[in-house]
Amino acid sequence: MADKSDILQGTLDLMVLQTLEAMGTLHGYGIARRIEQVSEDVLQLNQGTIYASLLRLQQRRWISASWGTSDNNRKAKYYAITRAGRKQLAEQTENWERIAGVMGRLLRLADR
Amino acid sequence: MPLSARFFALLSRVRALFGSRRLDAEFGREIDSHLEMLVDDYVRRGLPPEQARREAVLRFGGPMQIQEANRDHRGLPFVETTLQDIRYGLRALRKYPAFSAIAIATLAVGIGAGTSVFSVVGAVLLRPLPYRNPGELVRIFETNPLRRWTRNIAAPANWADWQVRNKSFTGIAAYEQFSNNGSGASEMFLTGFGEPQGVKNLGVSGNFFEVLGAVPLLGRTFTEDEQYEGKARVAVLSYGLWQAAFGGDPHIVGKTITLSGRGYDVVGVMPRAFFFPGRDVQIWTPFGYTPKRIADSRRPHWLGVVARLKPGVTFEQARDDMTGIARQLEQQYPDTNTQMGVRLEPLHGSFASESRTALLMLSAAVGLLFLIVCANIANLQLGRAVSRGRELSIRRALGAGRPRLLRQLLTESVLLSLIGGALGLAAAALGRTMLSRFAADAIPLFAEVQIDRSVLFFAVALSLCAPILFGIVPALSSSRGDLVTERSESTRGNQGLRHALVAAEVALSIVLVVGAVLLVRSLDRLQDVDPGFKQEQAVTFTLTLPSARYADPASRYRGFLEIERRVSEQAGIQAIGATSVLALRGFGWTGDTTIEGRAATDYERDTRHASVTTNYFGAMGIRMLAGRPFELTDTRDQPEVAIVNHSLARRYFRGLSDADVVGKRITYGRPQDNARWVTIVGVVADEKQEGMDLPAEPTAYSSIGQRQQNPLTYVVRTSIGPEAALAAVRAQIRDFDKDLALTQVATLQEVVDGAMAGARFRTTLLALFAGIALLLAALGIYGVLAYFVSQRAREIGIRVALGAQPSGVFRMVLRQGMLPVVLGAAAGVAVAVPMTTLLRTLLFGVQPIDPPTYAIALTALAGIAVAACAVPALRATRVDPLVALRDE
Repeated sequence: MADKSDILQGTLDLMVLQTLEAMGTLHGYGIARRIEQVSEDVLQLNQGTIYASLLRLQQRRWISASWGTSDNNRKAKYYAITRAGRKQLAEQTENWERIAGVMGRLLRLADR
Repeated sequence: MPLSARFFALLSRVRALFGSRRLDAEFGREIDSHLEMLVDDYVRRGLPPEQARREAVLRFGGPMQIQEANRDHRGLPFVETTLQDIRYGLRALRKYPAFSAIAIATLAVGIGAGTSVFSVVGAVLLRPLPYRNPGELVRIFETNPLRRWTRNIAAPANWADWQVRNKSFTGIAAYEQFSNNGSGASEMFLTGFGEPQGVKNLGVSGNFFEVLGAVPLLGRTFTEDEQYEGKARVAVLSYGLWQAAFGGDPHIVGKTITLSGRGYDVVGVMPRAFFFPGRDVQIWTPFGYTPKRIADSRRPHWLGVVARLKPGVTFEQARDDMTGIARQLEQQYPDTNTQMGVRLEPLHGSFASESRTALLMLSAAVGLLFLIVCANIANLQLGRAVSRGRELSIRRALGAGRPRLLRQLLTESVLLSLIGGALGLAAAALGRTMLSRFAADAIPLFAEVQIDRSVLFFAVALSLCAPILFGIVPALSSSRGDLVTERSESTRGNQGLRHALVAAEVALSIVLVVGAVLLVRSLDRLQDVDPGFKQEQAVTFTLTLPSARYADPASRYRGFLEIERRVSEQAGIQAIGATSVLALRGFGWTGDTTIEGRAATDYERDTRHASVTTNYFGAMGIRMLAGRPFELTDTRDQPEVAIVNHSLARRYFRGLSDADVVGKRITYGRPQDNARWVTIVGVVADEKQEGMDLPAEPTAYSSIGQRQQNPLTYVVRTSIGPEAALAAVRAQIRDFDKDLALTQVATLQEVVDGAMAGARFRTTLLALFAGIALLLAALGIYGVLAYFVSQRAREIGIRVALGAQPSGVFRMVLRQGMLPVVLGAAAGVAVAVPMTTLLRTLLFGVQPIDPPTYAIALTALAGIAVAACAVPALRATRVDPLVALRDE
């Protein structure tokens, strides 16, 4: 169980980082919306879950946060990726692709 | 994850520990804003606001849980819970102030006493000696069953042969030990810096510092070559002397100082931590003998020896090696070395050997005291658990699991213990000066009692250890059970546990009290011992006439006599005499004795010698048993005479009365030495030599007129008080020679007290511990019984209503209270018997299994226990049946 959640945690963290990298500064709601849109609603998560990820990334200083005002005049906390976060994103992306490649080959092999 | 990210994460969690309320509020706002946006979204899609809000919350997924998860991951939950427990614990401690005060006070006593004893034990037994690899250093003594030597100082010629022949040591160093008083260092005095100042000088071999592996702070130490006479007059200063006499002069190396009238070049200063063999030594000089003097000195013994094992050589191998060499020397020099063996001792153990047993005893005692303290607090906690039952039940009902409650209760225990420990440590630190002054004569001269890091660590360890002992059982007991059984079942079991704890406290106290009574009785006997002289109203001091200015024996003799004459003429001085060896300060030289009329192979060994002035016995108050005192006419040109002590008369002249011994002749040597005949002209009572607890050995006194000694120790009997007498003496001596300094100034009473300091130290501490133990035991007995009475008030009330007499009620309660005491006392006696036999070497005039001691200990306990029981028992007799019955 722990292993599964670890993988999920890591995955979500990577998604958040990528989202911030792609979209620039965003608030929690924005990030959640964006991930839902990109996943074409395959990934149905409670939006609140995103905050566990945001806390982790903040603690590691991969993202930074500050309060700002949204388009429709609401106070919201905005997140932005940091330099260390970008580095981490690059590493993890590479890692992820490598593993995905291996997994793909392995699963195809098993099919035969 | 990179290290930096881990570090930042930890940092952020630590930071989150502070201002958690602010973070909660901020996160709440963030969630609110998120929800608002969701609601906006749903409203835009056409939902009514009410429904939009519901959908938003569903979509978000339980704001409370998210908030909770955030709180958990934001900081360090373990730490936060602990902080919460601590806050709660402090509140609980404040709620039961009497309990907390007693618990903290007893813990402070237990931990303070433990820490104090540890600071002494650490100083003597544990702190490594300030030499390189001190574990490699051994001391070498000579043994000889013929002379009853078990660890005697070495003969210089033997030392020299050991150096050449051994295969086990990187070096064997030697130092002069002319007396076994203190470090055995000789007194010199430093002039040219204000008042002449007595300093303790140790004459050492050239390789001394090298063998110890001691590096000087300034300058250098000695070379091999410098140990020989005529090579160089050089000196190494202790840090203390360098600071005190030379103000820490950084250019002291190379300067010349005047010691007892001779110039010495200072070549080095040792670091502050260095000492050898005790902290009293202030200066080291090469002993300066000719090679011939060393080679010729196989009969006299005056060298302490310390050697360093070669790497890889074990202690046993070295001992075998040295035993082999001693055997070679025995064959080679039968005249001097017959049955001469060697004894090796690890240096540290050797230094500490005399106080080791007492310190181990005190450690054990303070350990027992600590256990009693813990038992007592466990007992108090069990008592409090009953009144806290409701509170704990409510907490349990609100969902606190047993582990959570246990953790809470243990946190309280640790808090108690840390507060008590801090107070105890503070007390130990404040008492350090007093303790070290009190311990000064009881522990070896090298030991310096201080509160250092290891002592601090020990106090913390004790404080953390205590809650395990006193906290776990009560915590387990009171976290058990549920709301229904709380007041009936668990308190009954609790009461049994409390009785067991009281019994344990009593048992442990008995062990301490028996030990304390044994030591007190020993000290009492010791104080009753007649030292053989009158210690009241007398002062003593040592005086050296430097050979640089008093070159020939005749001038020294005249000097000593003149000083004696001048002082004796002062007002308030009743008598003055001098001796080469003062009572209770060991002995000077010992040698063989031939007794006229015995067979040529029959002689006595190891007779002690002292030279005294004519008035010495009178000034000391030593009784003449027969014959006459020395006269001024007993000079070198007259036939040599001796006064012997009673032990010598009794042992060497079996069957003769003291009066019959007068007139007998002896020589100071073996029959084949053909030494000069000496006529015994008097017999005096024994004066104590090495200790109040040791019998006097056969001693022959010579007249100072016939056998010169330098220095001499004067004894001045006075009616004007020690300060006034010493002032008069100082004035007279300054008048006689302004460059002379008095050393080892003390009253005779202080000399006697000093000889008993070790016994007094251990006895006082043990008696103190035993007293505290009894008090704590009484507190325990009282606490349990008082609770018993309050619980049984109703039953007692019924009994009284049915016609029970107050005396009957009193007896019933007393019986209840005394049961654990009796059981505990029986167990305590059973433990005390084997434990106190370990004290054998610390006792004097009392056997370890001493019936009166046990009687005293048990009586003391019974008295205190009855007193502790009487209060609640009396209260029980005053129970008003009406009130008791109405209460329920």
